[in-house]
Amino acid sequence: MPFNDHEILETVRMFELETLDIRTTTLGINLLDCADPDLEATCEKIYAKIVHHARHLVATANSITADYGIPIVNKRIATTPIALVAAACGSRDLVPIARAMDAAARECGVDFIGGFTAYVYKGLSNADRALMESIPGALAETERVCSSVALASTRAGINMDAAARFSELVLETARLTASRGGLGCAKLVCFANAVEDNPFVAGAHIGVGEAETVVNVGVSGPGVVRSALARLSPDADLLAVAETVKRTAFKITRMGELVGREAARRLGTSFGIVDISLAPTPAQGDSISDILELIGVDRTGAPGTTVALALLTDAIKKGGAMASSSVGGLSGAFIPVSEDSGMIAAVRDGALSLAKLEAMTSVCSVGLDMVAVPGDTPAATILGIIADEMAIGMVNHKTTAVRIIPVPGKGPGETVEWGGLLGTAIVQDPGKFSCARLFARGGRVPAPIQSYRN
Amino acid sequence: MARRFLTAEDVRSAKSREIVVDEQTLVTPQAQEAAAAAGISIRAGGGAWVEPKPDRGPDAERAQRALPNLPEPAEGGEPGGGAVITAVGKNRAGVLAELTSALAQAGVSVHDISQRVVDGYFHLILVVELDPGTSFGPVKQRLECLGGPEDYAVRVMHQRVFRYMHRV
Repeated sequence: MPFNDHEILETVRMFELETLDIRTTTLGINLLDCADPDLEATCEKIYAKIVHHARHLVATANSITADYGIPIVNKRIATTPIALVAAACGSRDLVPIARAMDAAARECGVDFIGGFTAYVYKGLSNADRALMESIPGALAETERVCSSVALASTRAGINMDAAARFSELVLETARLTASRGGLGCAKLVCFANAVEDNPFVAGAHIGVGEAETVVNVGVSGPGVVRSALARLSPDADLLAVAETVKRTAFKITRMGELVGREAARRLGTSFGIVDISLAPTPAQGDSISDILELIGVDRTGAPGTTVALALLTDAIKKGGAMASSSVGGLSGAFIPVSEDSGMIAAVRDGALSLAKLEAMTSVCSVGLDMVAVPGDTPAATILGIIADEMAIGMVNHKTTAVRIIPVPGKGPGETVEWGGLLGTAIVQDPGKFSCARLFARGGRVPAPIQSYRN
Repeated sequence: MARRFLTAEDVRSAKSREIVVDEQTLVTPQAQEAAAAAGISIRAGGGAWVEPKPDRGPDAERAQRALPNLPEPAEGGEPGGGAVITAVGKNRAGVLAELTSALAQAGVSVHDISQRVVDGYFHLILVVELDPGTSFGPVKQRLECLGGPEDYAVRVMHQRVFRYMHRV
C-alpha cells in the first residue's frame, strides 16, 4: 500500500473529527485601472472588473472540494486599496464605491470582500481622508464590504492624528450598526505594518506590489494541533510540544499548498501565498485557547500564556515554512476573542484581561481581535488601546492589528451574540483611567531607531 | 481607441449608432443597458462584443507555465487518478461487496485493501486507481451515497491529498 493505515486514518480523522479545512480562498484583484474622474464610472468599472474576474471563484473552489475532498469554507475577494483607486474622482463620499463592491460580491456569491482600505501611516491624501470619512456609512450600508486602515509602520511611525480619527470612526460605525450589536466594527480593522497579501478578512486587500490577479489561501486547523497535543504524553517537554506543533503545521500547510496550486491552475492566475495562521471558530475544539491550555496553563490569560503562545506561533511558522515556499500573509496564530469558545470562557471566568490579551498580541500573528468594550467607551480610550497595539507592532517589526467593537448599550461583563463565525463576546473593561491628554496632543509618533535592538 | 472599460457615460456621449471597442475591453453592465436602450450596437473584432476571457495579467501566463513544474511530493503512489476510500460503520454481510461492485461499475480498479472489525464496527481502506478518462467527482459522489446514517459512512479522497500530507 502506498500509504500505511496509520497515515490514511490520520488524514481522514483530521478532516472528519478535527475540523481541518481551508479557511479561505481569496482572489486578489488589482483595481487601479478602474480609476476614473467620475465617481459613477469608477463604481461601474469596479463592479464590472470584480464580477469579470471572480464570477467563477465560488464554483472553482467548490470543484476543488468535490475533487479532492478538502472543505474550503470561505471564498473571498481582496482588492487594491480603494483610496488609491478613488483618488482620481476627487469625491468626498466614497460610500457608492462600497455599494458597488458589495453588489459585486453578492453577484459572485462571496460572503466578504476586503479592500475598502487606506494607507495613512505617515499622512493623509485627500482620497485617504475621503475613504476614512466614508467608513461608517460604508459599513452600515453594506453587508459584505470590509475596511482596513494602515495607521502605523516601523519605517514611518504612528500617525496619531489618523489613529485618533479612526477611533472616532469606530464609535460612529458602532452607533450606526447599534441594532446589530455594533457589528459594523467586526468589518473594520487598523494595522501597524499591514501585509499586502493577507487573504483573511477584515484586513484582506492586495497592495500595489501585487500582480493583476492572484490567489491567496488561508488554512486553518486549531482542532488538528489540539488533538496532536492531546495525544502527547503529559511528561513530554516543551521541545516535544514544539516538534509536535511543527509536524502538524507542516501537514496543515500542505493542504493549503495543494489547494492554492489547484485554485491558481483552475482560475488561470498566479498562486500568491498560503497564510498559515491557525484560525479558530466558535465550534467546540476549534480553539487556540484549548491549545494554550494543553501546553500547560490552567486558563488562557494565566501567567505563562504569552510564552505558550510564543512557542505555538513560532512552531507553526517553522512547520509551515517547510511545507510551502509561498508562506505569507499574517501566518501565526489568530486570537480573536469572540470567535474562540475557549477565549470566551477565559474572559467569562476572569482569567483573560484586556491587558493580558495585549501582551499576548506581541507574540501572536496579528493583534487585538474581536474585542468587545462598552459602547460608551470614550474615543480617547479607544485611541489609547489602538495606539498601544500599534506601538507593539512598530517597535517589534511585526504586523499588529486592532478590531475592537464598542457594543452600544452594553457594559463590562455583559454578553453580546453576533452569531455565525463572529461568535459571542463578553464586554471587557478598558479601565477608568483616561489618556485624553495624549489624544489631545495629536501629531505623529516618530519611527523607532532600527539598531540597538534589545 | 484602445480602452479597458466602456461605461454608460461613454455610451451616452457616443456620436454614432455603433461603438467599436477592443476585444479585451470590458463593457460594464450599465453600458450594455444604456446601449440597448438607445439602440446602439457595441462591436469588437468584426462582430458583436462578447465578454472576453478574464485577462489575469502578465504574471498569470508565466505562473500557468510554472505550476506543472513545481515539484510534487512524489513517493507513495504514482501520480495520476489514484484515490483512497475509507468506510466506517456497523459490520454486516455484504458491505465490501456493495463497495466493490459500485467501484467495478464505475471502472475503478482496487490496488490495495485493508479491513478490520473491532467490537462489531468495521473500518475499511481501499486504495484505488481510476481508469484514464474516468473523472473523480462522479465516482466520489456515487460512493459517498452508499451506506447511510444508521449503516456506514464512506469518504473518498484524492491520493494527492495523502501524498501532500505524508510525503516530503
